[in-house]
Amino acid sequence: MLENISNLMVGLAVVFQPYNLMIIVVGLILGIIVGVLPGLGGANGVAILIPVVVTMPPTAGIILLSMIYWGALYGGSITSILFNIPGEPWAVAATFDGYPMAKGGRPGKALVLSFLAHGVGAIFGCIVLTFFSPILAEFALKFGPAEVFAVMMLTFSAFVGLGGKSPLKTVVAILFGFILAAVGMDIVSGQLRMTYGTVVLMGGFNFIVAVIGLFGLGEIFLTVEEGLKVEGISTRIGLKDIWEGVKDVSRNPKALITGTLVGVWMGFKPGGATPASFMAYGFTKQSSPQAAEFGKGVSAGIIAPEAAAHGAGTSAMIPMITLGIPGSPTMAVIMGGLMIFGLQPGPMLFKENVDFVWGLIASTWMGNIIGFFVVLAFAPIFASVLKVRFAIFMPLIIYVCAIGAYAVNNRMIDVYYMLLFGVLGYFFKKLDYPIAPMVLALVLGDMAESAMRQALIIGHGSPIVFFTLPLALPLMVAALIIFFWPVIAPVKAKLFGKKA
Amino acid sequence: MEIISLHCLLISDCLKGGNMRKAEIWVSLAFIFLGVIVIVDSIRLGFMWGSAGPASGFFPFYLGVGVVISSLFVFSKAFAKYKKEGAGKPLMPPGAIRPILWVLIPSASMIVITEFVGLHIAAALFLAFYMRVVGKIGWATTLLVGIISPLSLYIVFDKLFLIPLPQGLWGAYLLRF
Repeated sequence: MLENISNLMVGLAVVFQPYNLMIIVVGLILGIIVGVLPGLGGANGVAILIPVVVTMPPTAGIILLSMIYWGALYGGSITSILFNIPGEPWAVAATFDGYPMAKGGRPGKALVLSFLAHGVGAIFGCIVLTFFSPILAEFALKFGPAEVFAVMMLTFSAFVGLGGKSPLKTVVAILFGFILAAVGMDIVSGQLRMTYGTVVLMGGFNFIVAVIGLFGLGEIFLTVEEGLKVEGISTRIGLKDIWEGVKDVSRNPKALITGTLVGVWMGFKPGGATPASFMAYGFTKQSSPQAAEFGKGVSAGIIAPEAAAHGAGTSAMIPMITLGIPGSPTMAVIMGGLMIFGLQPGPMLFKENVDFVWGLIASTWMGNIIGFFVVLAFAPIFASVLKVRFAIFMPLIIYVCAIGAYAVNNRMIDVYYMLLFGVLGYFFKKLDYPIAPMVLALVLGDMAESAMRQALIIGHGSPIVFFTLPLALPLMVAALIIFFWPVIAPVKAKLFGKKA
Repeated sequence: MEIISLHCLLISDCLKGGNMRKAEIWVSLAFIFLGVIVIVDSIRLGFMWGSAGPASGFFPFYLGVGVVISSLFVFSKAFAKYKKEGAGKPLMPPGAIRPILWVLIPSASMIVITEFVGLHIAAALFLAFYMRVVGKIGWATTLLVGIISPLSLYIVFDKLFLIPLPQGLWGAYLLRF
């Protein structure tokens, strides 16, 4: 406990270097703009910046990437509330009550409520991040290949069993991601796989390019399809709004606590901010005495999903830095950044790169606190970004996406892939194939495969190895139960349903 | 019989924006095809126990098998539903295909033009075209944004961060500073 606090102080010393403080502010502002603009989301906003970040010192670079995420988490809600246009998927739930409240004449208060909830969710996520991740990292040091593979199985099972959408399509999406990851040279044997004699496929698929295409262009296609109409509610945040916001938040402790807890839990297990916000909204609505008022602009309906989204965002960092398994696409891209710097995320990071890890954790604290004041002070200005005509910023986004995709590997073919992934992302969205697990599979593909191969070698070729090691067994069993949950749940309901 | 009726689903409707269940069927078939070609290559590489543990094709082989099996389920579900309830709602809302193509074709052209004149010049053309022709934005704004943004991005990336962006065949002659 004390050790963690002293480590955090060391981290804060890193963060308070003027250069890093500047990076934090710049990153947050960029992040909020990324959050406000539809079609430019956290994941691809971070992905586009990766080539730039490579030229910086590692700590500053990763701080910049994570700031984009924190900024985007705050910023996504601004346009949800003011224009009913969610800038980010995790801000969709904020439109349910945020927009009605804004339309009903209290836009300032709605924004304050949202930011306060974000802040509380973030701080709670930071506390868990600070005190829980060292424990988890210590524990994860005992993991061998079989355990690593089992943890990944658990991650992907969570998408299949608890994802809510069609489990079969989730399986297809995950396997497709793994297949894309396997294209190119096999790192173990050096053989070329699935290149079918072409030179083009030899380099394989880079997941950053995939993210830029799937989340960038794919989103843009969806946005033009729906047509973007900005019906602005102009606003400023007055002291009265802040006072009433604080009062309302303290009057709704249940919504705040539900949101925060759901968020931190959902962020920790893979899923991320978007499902967390919906879940928190649902829970709060169900248990609220004034459930009928939800959707008409109640405070609790803003507080719960917003706290959940940001709690999930910050706590998603825990599995990424301790296990090397990102809980959300944005975290996956940040992890990609770490790997470009030669920092292997996982338990060894806490032993070998103490300064870096605690600098990152401290920057998460600072970034979310500074971010709160930045959005509170400048929300109306950020909202006015959307007043720029869509026909102006949309081609600019595509242009910047192309720069990002090219600069990852300096390959022209990646720009074509980006376009292909954009079309793919559009159809995936339309047909309910989930994108997030596919991206994670693409990121983790090589790691999952080598973990599995090593584990099988240890087990002399028998898959029993995953079920005999004391740490792997519970993980695998949990993974299997969660994986088959869509099949188990109806059976269980049939057996026990009548008693309950 | 079923194959023939499937065949009729294709082209004609795709142009009208297609519809959900047919797209569902086609996408699942595409995944089955993908799975099969992955399996074929895995068999070539060897999918059993090699000289140093599992062979190169081991992991992809099971991925391919998994994709084929799960996509078969998706396919049969979608096909049964199609038989029973008809085509279902359209894949795209009416009239949506036009704005999408208006984004897709110019951005694809930008990428192709990049091969010749480099990314920044191609992007300048793309920006100007989209703003003026599709967005109907005034000439002044179009020219301003179309010139200033590629120029500033060129300076930031190529000059400040020293990240070289594609120059294409003739880009180096066109941008000489």
